[in-house]
Amino acid sequence: MLAYILRRFLGIALTLLLLSIFTFVLSRTVPGGPWLQGVEIPQSPQQVAAFKAKYGLDKPLWQQYLVWLRNALTLDLGVPFSMPEITVSRLIGRLLPYSALVGGLAATLAIALGVALGIASAARANTWLDNVITLYAVFIGTIPSFVMGFVLAYFLAAKLGWFPTGGWGGPRHLVLPVIAYGLPVSGGVARWTRQCMLEAMGSDYVRTAYAKGVRELGVMTRHVLRNALIPMITNFLPLFPGMMTGSIFIESVFGLPGLGKYFVMSSTNRDYPMVLGITMFWALLIACTYLVTDILYGIIDPRVRIAEKAA
Amino acid sequence: MSTAVSAAAPAVAQAQPRYAGILAGAWRRFRRNKLALFGLGYVVFISFVAVAAPYLTPYTYDKINPSIALQGPSWSHPMGTDILGRDMLTRIMYAARPMLIVGFATQLAGLVIGTTLGVLGGYLGGAVDWAVSRLVELFSALPWYLIVLYMVMVLSPSLKNLILALTITSWVNSCRVVRGLSFSIRKLDYVEAARALGIPGWRIVIYHVLPQAIPLLLWTFAAGIPTAVFAEAGLSFLGMGVRPPQPSWGQMLADAGNYWMYWPHMFVFPSAMITLSVLAFQGLADGLREAMDVNVNI
Repeated sequence: MLAYILRRFLGIALTLLLLSIFTFVLSRTVPGGPWLQGVEIPQSPQQVAAFKAKYGLDKPLWQQYLVWLRNALTLDLGVPFSMPEITVSRLIGRLLPYSALVGGLAATLAIALGVALGIASAARANTWLDNVITLYAVFIGTIPSFVMGFVLAYFLAAKLGWFPTGGWGGPRHLVLPVIAYGLPVSGGVARWTRQCMLEAMGSDYVRTAYAKGVRELGVMTRHVLRNALIPMITNFLPLFPGMMTGSIFIESVFGLPGLGKYFVMSSTNRDYPMVLGITMFWALLIACTYLVTDILYGIIDPRVRIAEKAA
Repeated sequence: MSTAVSAAAPAVAQAQPRYAGILAGAWRRFRRNKLALFGLGYVVFISFVAVAAPYLTPYTYDKINPSIALQGPSWSHPMGTDILGRDMLTRIMYAARPMLIVGFATQLAGLVIGTTLGVLGGYLGGAVDWAVSRLVELFSALPWYLIVLYMVMVLSPSLKNLILALTITSWVNSCRVVRGLSFSIRKLDYVEAARALGIPGWRIVIYHVLPQAIPLLLWTFAAGIPTAVFAEAGLSFLGMGVRPPQPSWGQMLADAGNYWMYWPHMFVFPSAMITLSVLAFQGLADGLREAMDVNVNI
């Protein structure tokens, strides 16, 4: 197990290294730069040169990269061009709670609602209830979060005035973004849950349990759900970092000050340190979630552990 | 993921070269899915609208007329007008073009790249496979929309760069599928036999490996289109796709910006079109999967 985790860590490190090179090189080889964007007064060549020298942009590309890499290993991701008074790591730390809150709550809503619907539709497979839930899952899953955001904001905020239409200022501001973001995902969760449940329900041990005289509720909770949980957990856990990074669209609809909004802003301004910092942070978060998922998989499914011992 | 693909391989391998019978059976299974039929009808309809747009409307998508700005739906403007007095229906019709172009072009290009890399990695193995696998990992390290967003920003926002960026991220799925499949097929007896007969590697790949991958690849292609449609709408919504005055549904949604509260027609129609399109292509992909009996989870 330890060797496996170690090997995975090496894999993650290699991927992150490649990703940082890709992002770094792409950002610096294309024409244009931070000194050309959003400047009211055209800058003289001397000013541009001074700017480049200040941030080390006049050095060869590989030197710039190695400097960045050395600093990044000590979690020093540099200073954003657009906000010289704060470090990139700090800014990420300040913005993360918004994205984590919206993404995390939306993922929780999606999983809670989706799993409940999926179980209900699997337990009553091929009845009207199953059909209604499947129809809901297909339709809701095709609505992009930003479209959903507009629709909800129009009816619940603008027309009925129950919630604010946007901005940040407490729990009430979170309701609409979380629903708009979580509901479409619940469709996919419901479909996947239903499939996992049906697969478990078709197995021999379920028939045996029924034959022993175990009641439906007992079969469902103790035999079907326990086995269906394994593929469900491995699929739903990555939703959390996935939805944190995907909140770009919903943050832009509701004007929330999260990481996604800054990622877009920093990209427009060619704020290299900020873009690189956010990219690497997200990639690390996602990679770690997959690692945790795989380790959890071994813990909750004894068969994986046995197979590993045999190998 | 890899287990699902290898599980699908025997099912695909059963296909006999009686193509007519296979197609008839596929169509019969496809027809059973009502959503798939709707999807097919919608795609035909929207393609017609996109091509024939100039002949279907008396207006142009970029003619500004402030005197009729922000009018609700009427007989002369069935979907109303936008902030610059442009006919919404005309813009909705023209906006089908970038949607279809992005959807098909990126998936087709991604399919070609992914198949090539997948076959190379899966069939040759060794160092080539290692390199291909690292490349796949690199592009799976971040959600595709972040890579696309970043690339479009760096290359400057335009439809061309959006297509380029989406192509670069959309080959991953078909590469995974083909790699897994050629990996398992290359160990089958008939490939072994072909190799023993001295048939060159490229011939084995073209005649023995790729035909087995066709159903899976078709489905990967179809299943990628809703994502591409969503991507075009989403990035245009963030101001990073189609450039004005060319219309796009996502961009029209962004244009609705501060006016949607009072003039709901500005967000209702683009929203409906995006959702309908994603739904239609999704239904079409689901129907294709059932029709071809493909069993994958990606």
